[in-house]
Amino acid sequence: MDFGYPQNLSPEILKLYITQEGVRSPFSSKPADKPVPNATLQVTGAVGWRREGLVYKKNEVFLDIVESVNLLMSSKGSVLRCDVTGKVLMKCFLSGMPDLKLGLNDKIGLEKESQLKSRPAKSGKTIELDDVTFHQCVNLTRFNAEKTVSFVPPDGEFELMKYRITEGVNLPFRVLPTIKELGRTRMEVNVKVKSVFGAKMFALGVVVKIPVPKQTAKTSFQVTSGRAKYNASIDCLVWKIRKFPGQTEPTLSAEVELISTIAEKKSWTRPPIQMEFQVPMFTASGLRVRFLKVWEKSGYNTVEWVRYITKAGSYEIRC
Amino acid sequence: MALSGMRGLSVFISDIRNCPNKEQERLRVDKELGNIRTRFKNEKVHVVPTLRRNAPIKDDKDEDLLHLLIVGLEGLTPYEKKKYVWKMLYIYMLGYDVDFGHMEAVSLISAPKYPEKQVGYIVTSCLLNENHDFLRLAINAVRNDIIGRNETFQCLALTLVGNIGGRDFAESLALDVQKLLISSSCRPLVRKKAALCLLRLFRKNPDVVNVDGWSDRMAQLLDERDLGVLTSSMSLLVALVSNDHDSYWSCLPKCVKILERLARNQDVPQEYTYYGIPSPWLQVKTMRALQYFPTIEDPNTRRSLFEVLQRILMGTDVVKNVNKNNASHAVLFEALALKSVSHGNQYVPGLAFIFFDRGNQYVPSLVMHLDAEKEMMSQCVALLGKFIAVREPNIRYLGLENMSRMLMVTDVLDIIKRHQAQIITSLKDPDISIRRRALDLLYGMCDVSNAKDIVEELLQYLSTADFAMREELALKAAILAEKFAPDLSWYVDVILQLIDKAGDFVSDDIWFRVVQFVTNNEDLQFVTNNEDLQPYAAVKAREYLDKPAIHETVVKVSAYILGEYSHLLARRPGCSPKEIFSIIHEKLPTVSTSTIAILLSTYAKILMHTQPPDLELQNQIWAIFSKYEGCIDVEIQQRAVEYFALSRKGAALSDILAEMPKFPERQSALIKKAEDTEADAAEQSAIKLRAQQQTSNALVVTDQRPANGTPPVTQLSLVKMPSMSNVDHNPAEQGVSQANGTLSVVDPQPSRPSDDNIGDLLVPLAIEGPPGSATLSGHSPVFGFGGAPNAEDALAIAPVEEQTNTVQPIGNIAERFHALCLKDSGVLYEDPYIQIGIKAEWRVHQGRLVLFLGNKNTAPLVSVQALILPPSHLKMELSLVPETIPPRAQVQCPLEVVNLRPSRDVAVLDFSYKFGTNVNVKLRLPAILNKFFQPITVSAEEFFPQWRSLSGPPLKLQEVVRGVRSMSLVEMANLFNSFRLMVCPGLDPNTNNLIASTTFYSESTRAMLCLVRIETDPADRTQLRMTVASGDPTLTFELKEFIKEQLISIPTASRAPSPVSLQAQPAEPPQPLPTSSPAALSDPGAMLAGLL
Repeated sequence: MDFGYPQNLSPEILKLYITQEGVRSPFSSKPADKPVPNATLQVTGAVGWRREGLVYKKNEVFLDIVESVNLLMSSKGSVLRCDVTGKVLMKCFLSGMPDLKLGLNDKIGLEKESQLKSRPAKSGKTIELDDVTFHQCVNLTRFNAEKTVSFVPPDGEFELMKYRITEGVNLPFRVLPTIKELGRTRMEVNVKVKSVFGAKMFALGVVVKIPVPKQTAKTSFQVTSGRAKYNASIDCLVWKIRKFPGQTEPTLSAEVELISTIAEKKSWTRPPIQMEFQVPMFTASGLRVRFLKVWEKSGYNTVEWVRYITKAGSYEIRC
Repeated sequence: MALSGMRGLSVFISDIRNCPNKEQERLRVDKELGNIRTRFKNEKVHVVPTLRRNAPIKDDKDEDLLHLLIVGLEGLTPYEKKKYVWKMLYIYMLGYDVDFGHMEAVSLISAPKYPEKQVGYIVTSCLLNENHDFLRLAINAVRNDIIGRNETFQCLALTLVGNIGGRDFAESLALDVQKLLISSSCRPLVRKKAALCLLRLFRKNPDVVNVDGWSDRMAQLLDERDLGVLTSSMSLLVALVSNDHDSYWSCLPKCVKILERLARNQDVPQEYTYYGIPSPWLQVKTMRALQYFPTIEDPNTRRSLFEVLQRILMGTDVVKNVNKNNASHAVLFEALALKSVSHGNQYVPGLAFIFFDRGNQYVPSLVMHLDAEKEMMSQCVALLGKFIAVREPNIRYLGLENMSRMLMVTDVLDIIKRHQAQIITSLKDPDISIRRRALDLLYGMCDVSNAKDIVEELLQYLSTADFAMREELALKAAILAEKFAPDLSWYVDVILQLIDKAGDFVSDDIWFRVVQFVTNNEDLQFVTNNEDLQPYAAVKAREYLDKPAIHETVVKVSAYILGEYSHLLARRPGCSPKEIFSIIHEKLPTVSTSTIAILLSTYAKILMHTQPPDLELQNQIWAIFSKYEGCIDVEIQQRAVEYFALSRKGAALSDILAEMPKFPERQSALIKKAEDTEADAAEQSAIKLRAQQQTSNALVVTDQRPANGTPPVTQLSLVKMPSMSNVDHNPAEQGVSQANGTLSVVDPQPSRPSDDNIGDLLVPLAIEGPPGSATLSGHSPVFGFGGAPNAEDALAIAPVEEQTNTVQPIGNIAERFHALCLKDSGVLYEDPYIQIGIKAEWRVHQGRLVLFLGNKNTAPLVSVQALILPPSHLKMELSLVPETIPPRAQVQCPLEVVNLRPSRDVAVLDFSYKFGTNVNVKLRLPAILNKFFQPITVSAEEFFPQWRSLSGPPLKLQEVVRGVRSMSLVEMANLFNSFRLMVCPGLDPNTNNLIASTTFYSESTRAMLCLVRIETDPADRTQLRMTVASGDPTLTFELKEFIKEQLISIPTASRAPSPVSLQAQPAEPPQPLPTSSPAALSDPGAMLAGLL
């Protein structure tokens, strides 16, 4: 507080001062041995987001890259809109005041590196990241000067950075729908879904929602994998595949019967097919963690864990 | 209900009810709809193929389809069918679209069991509307049920038909329903339903009930003993009779019989007696039906009806029991309605109002019908008087309401007046609706005798009245005071008092009206104390200004009145201009801008009236004016600047700020406003009717203006009209507008602003200020000579002016004009310098003339001016005439003519140019009556009926004309034909007679057939008898005079300036037909035209 104005609003620090202990009995044998946190140090200290004196038996760092793919594809297979929003999530259980350095295969970092070491950039993909935002712990002056992401991490879980990619997106699935209306009361739906990621990987929880007209009465399906059914409350055929290996193309063919209605026959506006999925160890952007260095005074060893996952944002294919 | 046991349905409903939000509900409904779709579809898929194999092929496609559906649904158990259709209905009732499954519902109608049938009928009537195609599928099934024997099914079917009641149903089922209604084998239950169903069908489609056959049956129906059926039938009868009462005369005595039976309480089962009153509903309905018939002629029926009414009147009283009261009063009011409607002997359908009073009971009360004896009416009023004396507010309300309805009937007013005190007490009722009723009633019952009391009562009440009512109250008090004022000073007193008390609630109209009143009544003889109204008003206004706190409206009125008339009381103590000024000026800081504007006018007027001029006062007022010259309000600023400038000019001030002229009389804005508000309130019309009746006598007081020399206000305003228009207005046009008026003398007095709208009081006076004489003096001297003296002498101008010209025309102008009357093109005027040609085209009531102005010289003609002086019946528009005509050139000027009404007046072209000297000619334009004829030949069959139908003056006029140019019959026929009067040979058996016909076109008459018959005397060619007929009296007269002009030979030499009467001129014996002489005398134009 300075002249009544709060100076530090970081929840991590404020938490320290909110003590919710019961009323201590005066006869209790143990005196209050909890050290009163040093407020001045916390407020004025350089690292406001991290307490001092943390000790872990096992020093571990978890790093997740989570991407979600937004896609709108026309019925002819051309991509109308496509982007990926990604997050780098970290979970740190590190003792003391470690200094971390993260290296990704992004364009800026690599170029800088190659300049410094005065040797040509390694062949291989470099990713251009748009709209990068960092957590407050990242040292921005060093990022500007050296183009490296270096930081003193807060304790526990936090979101290190966010980014967006609009170019060079690897789509995990291709959908090839054919929907035919046969007369006024019948429809034929054929949908082929092709997974285009590596054959060793697999997608989980794949759901394909194929919209049908409101007056759908009866449906019959043939699927090569997974299960399909008609959901009247959302007016969709819902096809679920729990485990979807890479480089396969299961198909669904359905016959839909419609009931005749009294309403004016207006042609059915076909809404797009929607998809949900999760592909572990796959990044639609192709982003990779090149290194994660931890430096601490005591020089303990750390264990680093890295995970990748790609999810569907709004993954829509017109039909 | 058949719902019990349908678990699926109740589970679904409870699911829906358990939904926490709308979204979940929607999901559940969609799921259920998907389920129902699947079920319906499933069955069809499985069953229809089997059906196709053995389905019989029928002619009727619909039936076939229906059959198919029934079989198709048979896969579902009846339980399932019911369940799903109920679910559909439930979903539909929740507000979701259900656009399938109608076939299933319709098909259930023809199911054999009751539960299925019931759901089928219910769902069909809910889901389908009358224009639906699916209904056609149902018609047959419904019909089967109607003609079937099972009465529950009949009832279901009738309900459906009544509820949907579409066109198809009406066409195909009305007959069956009718049969059911009159069949004797049916139970009353079914017949009741049938009657109501038929009523519904009739309302949808009045053709379904065939009047010829049905009226007898309807009469038979009324013989029914069962009261239930009778009530339903009576509803039907009311609808039928309201549509066409003539065909159902036979029902009238039966209705009276029913009433008799009910009134005497004969043969009325216990279950139809409501609190001791035999079926009040039927009574009310019967009486309503009777109201649609005009007065009953049959004395027996009449007598018995009166007996019944008498009994009802006697039997009704106020009792404790609310329900009984309602029932009996309903009957009573209906009876009152019946009586007074017939009393007025007028056919007043639809004056029935059902209003909802606070006791939650509907009490139909009606306005009145039979020609009841006076004593009966007074009995009614006495009864109502009892009502308004009751404590119970509902009853009092009804009493007041009905009394004001009774007012519509004449000669109950006196009886009602007896209750005046009671009504005035009601004005103080705690209940506002009763107060309003009482106010309406007071307003309605007010006349000259009780006006003073009532208005004073209203004024007193005003100070305590509810705010919501004050405006209405003030308005009504003002109207009453104006309408029935015993004398004018009383009126002024009342209104000033009213304004003082009600202030905010007095609309501008009210005080405008006072001002109008005071201004218009300067010299009324019957003002009390022989005191003039204006000084009286001024004194009053002065008194009000003395009060410490006064309302702004009072300031406005007082300031206005004092401004106008304060000089009339200058002699009195405390009324010197200075004092008046200071007392008015005190109020200035407290008032709004609109009032400041009025105050400024007042100051200007005070200043003007101060004789001898008071320098101090003048300086004070000037200081105020100059202060307001910079006011942000434009109105005030303008006034201040103008008054300031004017007051420095001195003499002009007194002209401009002279007393306001009288306002033209017109319907009081107040009454108009009252009518408006009444229309808004959708109130019953008793008051309105009265107001309309009395608009005429509303102005009685003001109409008694003495006519000693002062011209009536309307004409005065006409004189003032030009000065209201812009200053730079074309003087000639002003002259024309004066000349066309009926005024004989141009008023030379300085013009005063003559606001024809009293709201214009607020308009700055100075703008309208230019004295009329100034504009008149700006006229060309020629016009001043020609235009001013007489309106009618437009014709006379031409010869008079000709002689003053120095340039001699070539050829005879009059002859050229006459030639052009017969032709459409030719030379109108020619002199050494110019030739004016004319070419005309005529189409119905419009015409297009082209003037060709040709310069014959080698030098240009300059200052060319052409003005058209049209008579009032022609609308003429001349396009722009160039100021110079180049040498040897011809200029064309189109001239558009529209004929408004028949008249023989001639348009004059005032043409002038300069060539060395000024040349000015006035030329008559050949746009005359016959140009708007369209010749038409009529056959004998057409002629004679027309001729006979136009009988007698003023449509058919006959005159013996003497002094006719002698010409042979053939010549005369040619003359007529050239005037576009088509002579029809052979119509008249007498060969010496001529018959001609034509069609006349004008904007007012449109196309009008004119017929002319000339009877000549072979012995004396100089006289003939002429009969002219047309559908328009003016047209007949004008046409007759026109033909006469053409037939009488006029020696050109006798162009004497002195008008000689037509009768005297040919020195013949006096006219044998006096009918025409007054008209001829009163029309100098006709005489002059005759001379030309």
